[in-house]
Amino acid sequence: MDLVRDCLDKQLVDRRGRKMGRVDGIVLAWEPGAQPRVVGIEVGAVTQAARLHPRLGAWLARFVRRRGRAQADPYRIPWAKVTPTGNDVTVGVEAERTPALAWERWLREHVIGRIPGA
Amino acid sequence: MKKIVEMALGVVTSVGGFLEIGSITTAAQAGALFGFRLTWAVALGGLCVMFLVEQSGRLAAVSRHTIPDAIRERFGLRYFLLLLVVIALVSLLVLSAEIGGVCVALEFVTGVGYRWWTPLVAVAVWLIIWKGTFSVIEQGVSALGLVTVCFVVGAWALHPRWAAVAAGLLPTRPDHDAARYWFIAVSILGASITPCLMFFYSSGAVEDEWDETYLNANRVIAAGGMGFGSVISAAVLVVAALVFLPRGVRVEHYAELAPLLTDAFGRWGVRLVAAALGVACLGAALEITLALAYMVAQGFGWNWSENQRPKAEARFSLTYTAVVALGALLIGVGPDPLKLTVSSMALTAATLPLAIVPFLFLMNDEHYVGRHVNGRLSNAVVLFVVALAFVLAVVTIPLQIFGGS
Amino acid sequence: MARQEIHVELLLSRRVLALNGRPVGRLEEVRAELRRGECFVIEYLIGTYALFERLAAWRVGRELLKVFGARRRHGGYRVPWDKLDLSDPTRPRLRCPVTELAPLEEGEA
Repeated sequence: MDLVRDCLDKQLVDRRGRKMGRVDGIVLAWEPGAQPRVVGIEVGAVTQAARLHPRLGAWLARFVRRRGRAQADPYRIPWAKVTPTGNDVTVGVEAERTPALAWERWLREHVIGRIPGA
Repeated sequence: MKKIVEMALGVVTSVGGFLEIGSITTAAQAGALFGFRLTWAVALGGLCVMFLVEQSGRLAAVSRHTIPDAIRERFGLRYFLLLLVVIALVSLLVLSAEIGGVCVALEFVTGVGYRWWTPLVAVAVWLIIWKGTFSVIEQGVSALGLVTVCFVVGAWALHPRWAAVAAGLLPTRPDHDAARYWFIAVSILGASITPCLMFFYSSGAVEDEWDETYLNANRVIAAGGMGFGSVISAAVLVVAALVFLPRGVRVEHYAELAPLLTDAFGRWGVRLVAAALGVACLGAALEITLALAYMVAQGFGWNWSENQRPKAEARFSLTYTAVVALGALLIGVGPDPLKLTVSSMALTAATLPLAIVPFLFLMNDEHYVGRHVNGRLSNAVVLFVVALAFVLAVVTIPLQIFGGS
Repeated sequence: MARQEIHVELLLSRRVLALNGRPVGRLEEVRAELRRGECFVIEYLIGTYALFERLAAWRVGRELLKVFGARRRHGGYRVPWDKLDLSDPTRPRLRCPVTELAPLEEGEA
């Protein structure tokens, strides 16, 4: 498998088929001298920002930490739950309960859901 | 049977997608200033977009991914964001021109200044998207869009010398105002070959759940829709050449557009122009708003569908709301809508390289289109459009300065 | 040395340096293999061919190469995981001479 071609930037779909963001980052880790392995994928604005410019990423990470949301952004999904399926990536979680949809939930409750006809 | 109905519907819809204030205005200007000489630009733009739209539909039908999906997936976040920013800037200009077009149409009929209509039109656009499903928008607007056929009838009724019209299909050098000539040519191409149209078309194919059995329908819809759209644009050009050129009307303000069909239809003329302009622009405003919201949602992997309730995809709903608001704000406070229209069409041409180069890769990528990769002809057309796009991108700004007005 | 962690997306398009400090090409793709539910990196791909691989663009890429001058002798390299020093992720370095690297063969698609 080619990690960039077959996994990075792909659509994330939860186990019920709901879209939950894209693979914004892939994390490799290794013990000294050992073979590197993929430990997980990341979703979120902090990971995206780091790809645009390291300083932007660092700044956004600080901002998120100060707001006490470092656990939610970036949201890291362990590799054990990830299955690349061709042009998409399926994740064995319930999207609605994850931080990947935190913004979506907040907007639904506080903005869009309050407009008549929503 | 179902397929045939869908095909007919698709053709009508994509005529609606193709024809908007930009194509009407630029064609009218071309006719008013240069007679039939710029017909080639209309035909060339139509032909190019026909191929690109077919490819967008093919990618969507085979892979169930849209063009923006595939661009993010293959070219990464940076390229996607660059494209998004460029397209969003230009599309907002175009959107406000379209909203302006609906307002101008209302002004033709009521006499009340176009700016007063802006908030009402913006709210109407938003409400249609908020409450409507994809098929309501698609079919409602396209049924209304049939009124634009009046331009073809008008052209026919005025008995142009068809040989002279056909001679315009071959590009010739202008005998006066060369910079203006080329600027209008670029604007016509920009009005025809719009990335938004292709992105929207591929999103529509996914919304309508196309699969490989739709490949033939897709071909018919792309060729038919873009073909008819170009014929209608060409008809606008012909009518303008016959009506405006002899009278020296240069179409520098929208008010000058109103008598376009009066020679052909008498006192119904103004109402027909208003109806055609209003409907075409409303359709285009809906399409551009949705296209931008789709592009954002797809690039970031959110849920998106016009068939869901707004609550089920809050981020997508918020995006189109913001898009409509920004577009309306621009025309409400901003410049003359005709200048805005023509400049934004030329700017669209300048954004083309970024949007079209990915087609070359995606349409030859078996991960997306399987065995339905581009043939030689399709690839040749993409290459041609890419080359054309680079030329346009380079010449747009100088032409804007020397030939813009 | 403790456990090291890096992001694949931040490695992309980084210049890889040879032992003598000369650039060898850009890192464009990371090849991995699934083994017992884990996903191990087996090699890093470097150079123009690696870019084609990542864009799944062999079909187009070959044509482009034909148009833009002769075929290069070294379209790209495959660097085994233990031959790339990533202790500074912004400056990946080879741990072996370039001559020991396997060339990246053209893809079939």
